[in-house]
Amino acid sequence: MRWAALVLAAGLALVGCAERRDGPGPVTLVFKHAKILGPTDPVPGLLREFERRHPGVSVRSEPLTWTSDEQHQFYVINLDGASPTFDVLMLDVIWVPEFARAGWLLDLAPWVTREELAPHFPAAVAAATWGGGVWAMPWNMNVGLLYYRADLLRKHGLGPPRTWEELVEQAERIRAAERDARLDGILWQGKQYEGLVCNVLEHFWASGTRLLGDDGRVLPEPERAADALAFMRGLVERGVSPGWVTAADEELTRRPFGDGRAIFLRSWPYALDLFEQADSPVRGQVGIAPLPGHASGTAGAGATGGFHLGVNRRTRHRDAAVALVRFLAAESAQRALTAAGVALYPTRMALYHDPAIVRARPSMPRFHDLALAARPRPVTPAYLMLSTTVQPEFSAALVAVKTPRQALDHARRRLEYMLGGLR
Amino acid sequence: MRVRRRAADVAVLLLLAAWATPYFWQLRTSFTPDAELLATTRVLPAAPTAIHYQAVLERSVMPQALGNSLAVASLTTLVALALGLPAAYGIARLPVPGKGLLLLVVVACTAFPQIATVSPLYLLLRALGLRDTWTALVLANTSFALPLLIWLLAGFIREIPIEVEEAAFLDGAGRLRVLGRVVLPLIAPGVASAALLTFLAAWNEFLFAYTFTATEASRTVPVALALFPGVFEVPWGDIAAASILASLPPVLIVIGLHRWLVRGLVAGALKE
Amino acid sequence: MTGRQRADRRAGLAFVAPAALALAALALYPSLWVLWLSLQHRVPIFGIARFTGLDHYAFLAADPRFWNAVQVTLVFTGVSVALELALGLAAALALQRQRAGRRLALSLLLLAWALPSVVTARLFEWLYHPSAGLVNALLGRSLNWLGDPTLALPGLILADVWRTMPFVALLCYARLLTIPIEVYEAARVDGAGRLATFRSVTLPLLRSILLVALLFRTLDALRAFDLMFVLTGGGPAGTTETLTVYAYRSLFQTLQLGFGAALGVVIFALVMAVAAGYLRALRREGLAA
Repeated sequence: MRWAALVLAAGLALVGCAERRDGPGPVTLVFKHAKILGPTDPVPGLLREFERRHPGVSVRSEPLTWTSDEQHQFYVINLDGASPTFDVLMLDVIWVPEFARAGWLLDLAPWVTREELAPHFPAAVAAATWGGGVWAMPWNMNVGLLYYRADLLRKHGLGPPRTWEELVEQAERIRAAERDARLDGILWQGKQYEGLVCNVLEHFWASGTRLLGDDGRVLPEPERAADALAFMRGLVERGVSPGWVTAADEELTRRPFGDGRAIFLRSWPYALDLFEQADSPVRGQVGIAPLPGHASGTAGAGATGGFHLGVNRRTRHRDAAVALVRFLAAESAQRALTAAGVALYPTRMALYHDPAIVRARPSMPRFHDLALAARPRPVTPAYLMLSTTVQPEFSAALVAVKTPRQALDHARRRLEYMLGGLR
Repeated sequence: MRVRRRAADVAVLLLLAAWATPYFWQLRTSFTPDAELLATTRVLPAAPTAIHYQAVLERSVMPQALGNSLAVASLTTLVALALGLPAAYGIARLPVPGKGLLLLVVVACTAFPQIATVSPLYLLLRALGLRDTWTALVLANTSFALPLLIWLLAGFIREIPIEVEEAAFLDGAGRLRVLGRVVLPLIAPGVASAALLTFLAAWNEFLFAYTFTATEASRTVPVALALFPGVFEVPWGDIAAASILASLPPVLIVIGLHRWLVRGLVAGALKE
Repeated sequence: MTGRQRADRRAGLAFVAPAALALAALALYPSLWVLWLSLQHRVPIFGIARFTGLDHYAFLAADPRFWNAVQVTLVFTGVSVALELALGLAAALALQRQRAGRRLALSLLLLAWALPSVVTARLFEWLYHPSAGLVNALLGRSLNWLGDPTLALPGLILADVWRTMPFVALLCYARLLTIPIEVYEAARVDGAGRLATFRSVTLPLLRSILLVALLFRTLDALRAFDLMFVLTGGGPAGTTETLTVYAYRSLFQTLQLGFGAALGVVIFALVMAVAAGYLRALRREGLAA
């Protein structure tokens, strides 16, 4: 088996040679990012603006594949021990601690002060500053929230629900009165994927519990967590949610609500623009509210999400790459993104009250309050492992293959074992 | 009697055609405009269209993936043949020390589950810096293609009467010359079958390709098809067109070269 | 003479060595390495490589997800292989009597087998579509084949049977062609009916090839991955999660290479045990026939 060791050593030596430093002459930065959805793509314009301000630096933008799993695999393969093929990367907020621990992200602390981060939402900053460094700049913000049919609620003399119990009652009352078999109560995302974890976490929080305790304990209050899962399953069993929500993602739930076939929808801010489009059947009739709490628990809170910008630690152009990240996260660039009407929202809080922006998007101040009250998913390098471990268990509880208690016991046993292995 | 015979033949053909329906249905879907996708009662689309093929060929990674697959499958076949042919001859004809053990290893290798070897191979390719390259896939594919190829070729070589080779030796030819000039022409059909099977297996391979590739630089057809993007809705028509393109080489092989294919398949199973 | 023998020995080594080295490096070495990996906590991106002994196996022994995967794997393998053998045998018998259009018949038969399994997954995903799928259109129902925990595994098995029945059919057909026509004529002279001929002549002659097909198909079904990974991803709620899918998710979704390797080793052992068992049966058969 010695030959294999030799081959390995030779391979490692080859890989080790790849690193080089900044040289003189023109610099080309490669920026890896997913396409920003919206009526127009403002990114190319921003990059040209950056080039104008930094003579001698040009930026090439390389598209990232669409799904989150693929993006993650792309990064793992291309950042893990490989020579740098890109300098600046857009990454999902839940990956920041993982990439930081793996040593793939440049610590921006020498360039970026805490004051520079202060104008961003605290939930976004928390992920960016895991473990004391500054691993990324917040770029886009996302938050889970409740959409409701304002016209239907008004018609029946109701206001947006404060608790899930109230929501169920309202949904049943309205459906009984409307006598429309095609009108569903509440739609949410129950398919076995990351979105399900967001939905379940929100019910955990509303029930006053969480997935990871402060001391790192897994599922510290299993009773409350089981109640939360049982409540979600109950939504389907009572018929408040259709059975297919257990296989639904964002778009599968957004469409029926947008067609006027549901009273409530749990989703993200991007959907509002689509509901307000000229040909939308629910235009002008959609209200937004914080996610409800549980009668026995606390007030509700949405899960935050979004994208950050990081610098590849092995970049040959540190200063230029850091400059690009700071430029894109700065107020002027985020304002330009927001003004272009993209589906993702800024991380800078002040923009939500900016008169010019609010004029075009009157709901911005509401989104600000929602995002400020929202909570991040567990900020840990093991997040992906955490999430993919609980997904099948949560899913099993929702389709009643397991009881909530069983599902949580199984999830906890596995998580404790896997987290132990990461220590 | 003859009429009944005919009717039976036709019935069998119809049943087999029915078995192939899933493929034909995908073929139909690939020419069906999106607006008609829900109309399952029509056998053929009312307004056939090529837009799905256009979309796949012009705006997806499929063309590049087809190129990658073609290269990876061809290179795998070549590498496996270059390694496997001499080995098969050695096993069939020459007094190699430890031959019994080698044969056992070859047979055992055909049964190795890819899922068990994928993680060590991943670490190996990672250490060599080969992830996301054709080389990685050719090496990985060789690990399952080579044992089968050796097994098949050794069987074909054993079928040749040894006297043919003896005659060549009397003329003073060396082993390599005998293999190239005498044996190879005699087992050419067998080599063709084995090469076809290897090519097919490499073309269809998914697990290694999915694990070791990350970009369109090396992504093969099955991976591209498995990851076929749907931004807001699943583009069923485009996926159908992509599936048809992905199955083009296998289908051509089945239609045009199935005699060789059958020979290899049957040989693999019967030479127990 | 000894000179020639020595030359042959040298030539033999030279001929076999490259392939032997390649197999050693690409198949044998990984298969030993995976054993070693399975005894570690190994998370390469975090630089974790820690020996843990048999911890992973101990965890698996009490892991409900593992036992569920074992059950799914065994049901998938048992049912699909049984159906493939039965249908494949029937198809071979039908083909045996075929006079006209044999080439076309073989092409139609082999089509399903030759397609990449990812294509098969995409084909059936579309056939099973709740509202636009052909299956529901023919049944006149709107079943959620891949989303319903009770229908997903049958749906998956059907796709696998579709794909691999032709392989069994082809093997049986090839064996049937080697049966001399005189055997049948002798049976007819003896006054045996069709069923009796099948039972006393055809089936015994097919015995060994059916065993071979059984071996190949069982091994492949135990190792199957592509079809379920793409068609159902192991869902809904783990009802189609085989050992291979569970192993892959552990390996590359959670990047637990050590833990995933332990699952790989279990599959490895299962496959080897089945192969050894069948080979023993085949050898007995070979001596008897």
